[in-house]
Amino acid sequence: MRFPIVSAIYQKEMLDLVRDRRTLISMLFVPTLLIPLLFSVGTRLISRMQTKAEEEAKSMAVGVRVSPSLREALEKAQIQIVETDNLKDAVLTKTIAAGVEEISGTPVEVEIYADNSNPTSSAAAARVRVALDDFKDEKVRESLRGSGIPASVLTPFVVKRTNLAGARKMAGMAWGSILGYLLLLMMFTGGMYPIIDMTAGEKERKTIEALLASPATRQEIVLGKNLAAVTAILITAMLTLGSIVYSLKGSNISSKVPEAQEMMRTIPLDVHSVTLIATTLVPLAMFEASLMFAIALFARSYKEGQSYLMPLLIVVVFPALMGGLSGLKMTLLLSVIPIFNASQMIRGILLGDASTANFAIMTAANLVYAAVAFVIATRQFENENVLFRS
Amino acid sequence: MLLVGCLPTRRVLSWVRAFMIEVLGLSKTFSGSRLAVDNVSFEVRAGEVFGLLGPNGAGKTTTLRMLATLLKPTGGTATLNGFEITRDPQKVREQIGFLSGDMGLYGRLTPLEILNFFGKLNGMDAAHREKRIQFLVTMLDMQTFAGVRTDKLSTGMKQKTAIARTMLHDPPVLILDEPTSGLDVPTARAIETAIVDGKKAGKCVLYSTHVMEEAEYLCDRIGVISGGKMKMIGTMEELRAATGKQRLREIFLNLLEE
Repeated sequence: MRFPIVSAIYQKEMLDLVRDRRTLISMLFVPTLLIPLLFSVGTRLISRMQTKAEEEAKSMAVGVRVSPSLREALEKAQIQIVETDNLKDAVLTKTIAAGVEEISGTPVEVEIYADNSNPTSSAAAARVRVALDDFKDEKVRESLRGSGIPASVLTPFVVKRTNLAGARKMAGMAWGSILGYLLLLMMFTGGMYPIIDMTAGEKERKTIEALLASPATRQEIVLGKNLAAVTAILITAMLTLGSIVYSLKGSNISSKVPEAQEMMRTIPLDVHSVTLIATTLVPLAMFEASLMFAIALFARSYKEGQSYLMPLLIVVVFPALMGGLSGLKMTLLLSVIPIFNASQMIRGILLGDASTANFAIMTAANLVYAAVAFVIATRQFENENVLFRS
Repeated sequence: MLLVGCLPTRRVLSWVRAFMIEVLGLSKTFSGSRLAVDNVSFEVRAGEVFGLLGPNGAGKTTTLRMLATLLKPTGGTATLNGFEITRDPQKVREQIGFLSGDMGLYGRLTPLEILNFFGKLNGMDAAHREKRIQFLVTMLDMQTFAGVRTDKLSTGMKQKTAIARTMLHDPPVLILDEPTSGLDVPTARAIETAIVDGKKAGKCVLYSTHVMEEAEYLCDRIGVISGGKMKMIGTMEELRAATGKQRLREIFLNLLEE
């Protein structure tokens, strides 16, 4: 293995790569422009929908068939009410936001009708419920006063709940489910096009013959090309990470809960976490590069290369998504499942509870996979049946 | 020690015999299919142009690819400048300049970038590369387009770039696989000039073609190959004498009918 030769191949591939439009789109355009755009449009849309539903719930009337005392209580809670005969149909046809019906008996039943698939109706029903609860408490308190029992019997104790997870940890939870998944997905797409180009593309354009007839050894060629692919994958990962951080910081999430806002704003990425995430991603990028290289080398053309690698995308997406789910505990066995282990680990790093043992096992496992995939890729490259398949 | 001592001796031997390329009983069977090259033998001297002439699918490309170490032979042996193709593929590749009709140029790179890349692969240092590239760019009249991406160049310009790449490291052996196929007359002419220049410089040139006139004009000796077998080898005179025909076209058809 001669370093200057490997370096020459690496440099040539990088030059070729930055001049390829398809690669630039997947490597630069998608992470830096598309992700922020989707985030900003997405969050804006969600907050607009929420606001709209809340406003509608206030302005749209609630249909009632209730006794005057109940009616008065609802009006006191500033709920617009209207007498309606067929409550259920009116809710479903959206002429009223929700319906309230009083059914006489012992005890008296008050039924709320809502269409839970409609946010406006849900919000209106929730407001009615609060008003009814208040009215019920009021009635109980009145009765107690009459019988001379103190009102304090109503509240023998008060339940309080304190979230011990700080903003950092809560942010880790929210981020952990999505960040690992997005990173792993983007790494795959970022590496796919350069790798197809330097394998199947080189075969299709017949440049491979001159390369193979040069004094560079097959291993030097594979290593040089693989290093370029790993670079492309890591650049995509870095841009994706930076772009997600940037777009979340910039977006105005109009959540009513300050805690949730705080959670999204707190970016759990200090130098320590970033270093750990990078260390997680490097062996994985090496593994992905060699694996895709070995597969794409079979293809005779760029198009064929794409159809070979597309199924692999599903194999990547599924474990990446699973790894982000909360409730799964990282075990030794899970630490050796590729992709999944990295997704889980990124979640763990963001939450601040990644164990050193799991981290070591995951890194070792991914390095082993990378080495095996590299050997396979080199074998493929030495196989004339693969290189000159017709 | 023994190996180090051996190499110069072998080189000297091949120089004394003056055979740059020696092919002995070379065969190739592709997995599960027919015999593409069947027991082919020939020699080419330094300063000689040897033409492999044959119809499509005769085994020309397979033979040249084996000599360029792109494919492994299933039988026989061959040495280039004293280096055996399966034992010393690395050394063999250092001896050859390989060019095919497809040219194989990286479209997104400029001729200068391509030449620098292949110079590095051939272990040439920066000063040496600079000098050789300068020389070839001037010789092939490439100054106007040496900095333009090759996918924007005309076929003739691409061909010149490919020739420059083949000659860059000044290899003693040139292996040219149908270098003129699909080219117009002036462009094919550039290749022919390169072959003649190579011969003058004492290089051993082995090339394949199915263009009779070109073979007749350029080659010192011609090997007619068909169905993977070498039908006959000789100078034009020898071929005429053996077949009793005058024109290469007739000689060729005569040999194919046998």
